[in-house]
Amino acid sequence: MDPLAAGCLARNQWLCGEYLSSRRTDLVDALVQHLELTVVSVLIGLIVSVPLAVTARRAHLSQLLLGASTVIYTVPSIALFSLFIPYTGISAETVVVGLVLYSLTVLVRNVLAGLDAVSSEVKEAARGMGLGPTRLLLTVELPLALPATMAGLRIATVSTVALTTVGGIIGYGGLGNLIFDGLSTQFKAQVLTASLLCVVLAILADVTLQGAQRALTPWQPRGGR
Amino acid sequence: MRSTRASTGVALVVALCTALTGCGGSSNNLSGSTSSGSSSAASSSGGAGGRSLVIGSAGFTEIQLMAEMYKLLLEKAGFQPTIKVVQNREVYEPALEKGDIDVVPDYAATMTEFLNIKAHGQSAAPVATSDKDTTVAALNKLGEPLGIKALDAAEAVDQNAFAVTKAYATKNRLTRMSDLHGRSVVIAATEECPDRPFCQPGLEKTYGIKVTKVLPLGFGTAQVKSAVTSGKAQLGLVGTTDATLPDLGLVLLQDDKHLQLADNLVPVVGKDFLGDTTLASALDALAPTLTTEDLTQLNKKVDAERQKPADVAKEYLTSKGML
Amino acid sequence: MPPMSAFGDVAAWLTDGAHWRGADGIPTRTAEHLVLSGSALAIVCVLALPLALWLGHIGKGGALAINLTNIGRAVPVFAVLVLLAIGPLGLGARSTVLALVLFGIPPVLTNAYVAVREVDADTVQAARGMGMSGWQVLRHVELPLALPLILTGVRLAAVQIIATATLGAFVLGGGLGRFINAGFGRQDQAELVSGAVLVAGLALLVEGIFEVLQRRLDPVRRAGRLSGLRV
Repeated sequence: MDPLAAGCLARNQWLCGEYLSSRRTDLVDALVQHLELTVVSVLIGLIVSVPLAVTARRAHLSQLLLGASTVIYTVPSIALFSLFIPYTGISAETVVVGLVLYSLTVLVRNVLAGLDAVSSEVKEAARGMGLGPTRLLLTVELPLALPATMAGLRIATVSTVALTTVGGIIGYGGLGNLIFDGLSTQFKAQVLTASLLCVVLAILADVTLQGAQRALTPWQPRGGR
Repeated sequence: MRSTRASTGVALVVALCTALTGCGGSSNNLSGSTSSGSSSAASSSGGAGGRSLVIGSAGFTEIQLMAEMYKLLLEKAGFQPTIKVVQNREVYEPALEKGDIDVVPDYAATMTEFLNIKAHGQSAAPVATSDKDTTVAALNKLGEPLGIKALDAAEAVDQNAFAVTKAYATKNRLTRMSDLHGRSVVIAATEECPDRPFCQPGLEKTYGIKVTKVLPLGFGTAQVKSAVTSGKAQLGLVGTTDATLPDLGLVLLQDDKHLQLADNLVPVVGKDFLGDTTLASALDALAPTLTTEDLTQLNKKVDAERQKPADVAKEYLTSKGML
Repeated sequence: MPPMSAFGDVAAWLTDGAHWRGADGIPTRTAEHLVLSGSALAIVCVLALPLALWLGHIGKGGALAINLTNIGRAVPVFAVLVLLAIGPLGLGARSTVLALVLFGIPPVLTNAYVAVREVDADTVQAARGMGMSGWQVLRHVELPLALPLILTGVRLAAVQIIATATLGAFVLGGGLGRFINAGFGRQDQAELVSGAVLVAGLALLVEGIFEVLQRRLDPVRRAGRLSGLRV
């Protein structure tokens, strides 16, 4: 075939409109899976991290928890996903478990930092008003830890969007599936398009959470971080 | 931009809903890794009653094509098939036994020898031959205790083969694999090549080639071929149905000592569908139709023209009047 | 494999003498891993530190320095690696190192910038009042006081780079990731887990070395600052 007569797909170009039009459903499917994996993982991470941080703090085990999160952080993502295969098989759960663990390393750290930042005067005052430990936690400490938690949530979400790509090794990596596939077939348009979508997704998620952060903590100063 | 953002917002909401409702649930809540767009057609005919099943597909062109063809044929027979990408035989064979994966397109001899080694150890004498029927019979004998079974093997054969650059072949006067006797080479092949009898062990034992290194780049992938053309490897593991080799300046060396066996394409069925005659007759219909030449052309459409495997599969089956 | 036996299998794999020899033995792969990570980290420091110190010193470019970390986090390093490998650099160590460099720059740059900016303004004023030049202020006041936080950034980058260098195995980059990929491809759980253990061990070792270094170099015992993740 005459290479000049061929389209950008056959010529394997980086930017290719033909790719976008012929693979639209593949891209949408990958994007949806990417979102699902990210959202489920970060949500579970958030739901687990708050009680985990609170309990560890009560039991004076914060340092242990931080140490554990550092250890998890050093395990390569590809290995972490693979480690769960004997238990959860080749499934979305395997990827989700790995992503939850990574998001925990960020979230736990930030929830702890947020709780630590609540000044002892404020807590004294609350106790003086007759608040028990549970109400103190729910009505004073956690709300005041919200900015740090939200900051952690943004970091965890953006990192998770990026890390999800590695799940492609077992076929549950959202856009990462397309990147893995494109590596073995040297499919330039596919790898570039999926990579760019990934970055766009991360930025959109960050902007969305930033909006939520402002709405939830109206007392915080705006602009910058 | 605005519409992209809006639709992402919608997708986010949808995802959240799925996530929240599906959190504690069973295994396959998250959408699988490949398209399942045409499942609406599945409920049409009776018989199989829309039973859903999972087709395993290793991540390279030929198997992707086969998996897409199986999917279309099974949809027509009334199943609800989805395709799941699986790395390689070491991953999907146990999944077939467990019933996590229900059917896989595979190569008859390679699968037979895989099961043979699994049952009798690395040094087991080969039971696959260059004849497809005896090979499939051997496969089924080994598969029976494991709860897996092969259906009819297609006419199409894709044997493992090793490609070199034309320049390297000319310079060293190579036409047959045995011309490489005593030479040290780097080969670009699969991760599991050091364990597979047709690969590193076979090259060393049968042909007396010294394999100094295996670059793990897959089976006949673009990466394998580019490693050979760029000189990073001298030999590349490819299939005999690869139509892109001449354009890349690659030639196949003749397997003169018959290291490679009858690698006809064959559906291998897992434990939940062993006795399913609807499934068997749907897939067996392909066996006498698909020839090696057909498969070569289909591969070319995906590898060189970069058409989608699903489209190519559909076009082919339609042209053969099978859909 | 039954999961319960995994620990024993890994111990057996790691202590098998055959895995400690040859071109794919543990010492060779560890050396490859260290060369990949070390050269990436060195390039990161040479590029990012002078720039960050200078920006921090003149007090400009803060938005860039801070946002770089956020942007860096959004870019999947795996995607960058694949783009480089199928692009001009091709398969091999070069693509791996460059991807790691791009990945390592943000934490180093951001932490170093913040470190210099956070040096007590009165101290800097006093130094200027003593007649120190801009260069002298940076060299003798800002840099020593900023050192602990600068090292936090370098430590963070080092640990991340070591963990991430594992992905290099996908593009013929070598390193300890080879055990993980080979273990995955051949379904050899012991090899896979051993690879992960080796990488994590290496990363923790480097983390420990930095911790000691930081304690030693901290002029005001500002040690133990773990804030790198939430800049």
